[in-house]
Amino acid sequence: MIKKTFRIGNQHGIHARPAGQLVKIASRFKSSIYISKNGNEVNAKSIMGVLMLEAGYGSEVVVRVDGEDEFSAVEALQHLIEVEKFNEE
Amino acid sequence: MSEQKEIPFITVEDLYVNSHSRVGLQIINSKASFGRKIRERELHRSGLALSGFVDVFTYWRVQIMGNTEIGYLNTLPPEQCLNSVTTVLGFELPCIIITNNNVPPHELVEVADQNGITLFSTPLSTTTVIHHLSEYLDTVFAPKTIIHGSLVDVYGVGMLITGEAAIGKSELALDLIERGHQLVADDVVHITRLGMNRLEGAPSEVLKHHMEIRGLGIIDIRRMFGIRAIRGKKVIAIVVALEQFSEEREYERIGVDEKFIEILGVSLPLVELPILPGKNITVIAEVIAMNQKLRDLGENAAQEFNARLIEKMQGPGKH
Repeated sequence: MIKKTFRIGNQHGIHARPAGQLVKIASRFKSSIYISKNGNEVNAKSIMGVLMLEAGYGSEVVVRVDGEDEFSAVEALQHLIEVEKFNEE
Repeated sequence: MSEQKEIPFITVEDLYVNSHSRVGLQIINSKASFGRKIRERELHRSGLALSGFVDVFTYWRVQIMGNTEIGYLNTLPPEQCLNSVTTVLGFELPCIIITNNNVPPHELVEVADQNGITLFSTPLSTTTVIHHLSEYLDTVFAPKTIIHGSLVDVYGVGMLITGEAAIGKSELALDLIERGHQLVADDVVHITRLGMNRLEGAPSEVLKHHMEIRGLGIIDIRRMFGIRAIRGKKVIAIVVALEQFSEEREYERIGVDEKFIEILGVSLPLVELPILPGKNITVIAEVIAMNQKLRDLGENAAQEFNARLIEKMQGPGKH
């Protein structure tokens, strides 16, 4: 099991489009993937769950991954959130 | 999506027969040019051609002569009138329609007889005739195509259901009929473009409201479900593409960005729907129709939800 904290770097935070990208990437992995903010944890493969976090610009989210492909899953999510910043400003 | 089927022409006889209920054309002289072909939806007011200016004369179109043309010919001395009509009718005109019950000068009738051109008369005004005939010719010459799919009126929304053979298009249509919606066409949908941006679907004459259900054969929806279960034609508002669910493929989850498909140059909203066992596609189809109605009214649930969320996340103390 891997647990990692990321900071949201795009201006509008995790709104619909970023949530869609996050869920899309999370769904590619077999591992169970959870994402939480302020102690509220949701399944990262669920759109509505991810949106519920209301993770705005500058907020911190914790990603918890458990499964055979957990390393590549965390890497992919980190890339999306911190490097690509959801391909938004 | 499929090949385009165009009607290249109609004959003057087709025009006479099919426009009868709209303009009530009467034959003045003979059916001489009934076999001539009309290849364009445009009409032409003979106008200046009668004064001898024929450089840009679109003689191949149906000619309309109203108060202006007949009035002008009546002002001419007989010889000049004969000259004028000889020039104009020397072209291969399909036919001439004289409006407002105008009485053509005898020179016009004589030359028309000599050149085998049919003269029609109508009590309607020029504008009215042009309006009604254009409407008819528009339908005749409109771009048409045939699409493999089913067309159902769901809550007043024309829903074109597409997808590969045996994926369940007819079964979905049948399920929708059972729930009180109306079948327009199954398996083969004839599509006509109306104006620039509307597509109307209708069944083929032969198939009408029959349907093939695999394992059962051909059934008659009208006889089985009654007149309320069918509809003659319907403007298509949305395309639902049924697809075999695939693990590899990613489906729309948000609905903020709409997808479109182009048919006959008209862009229609597209929903790609993966088929999974145990999933109630019929209810989803109804929801798609209702969602489309809301979107037509400018209400996009996904976009509004997202705008609210962004606003909330940017509020004070949210970091």
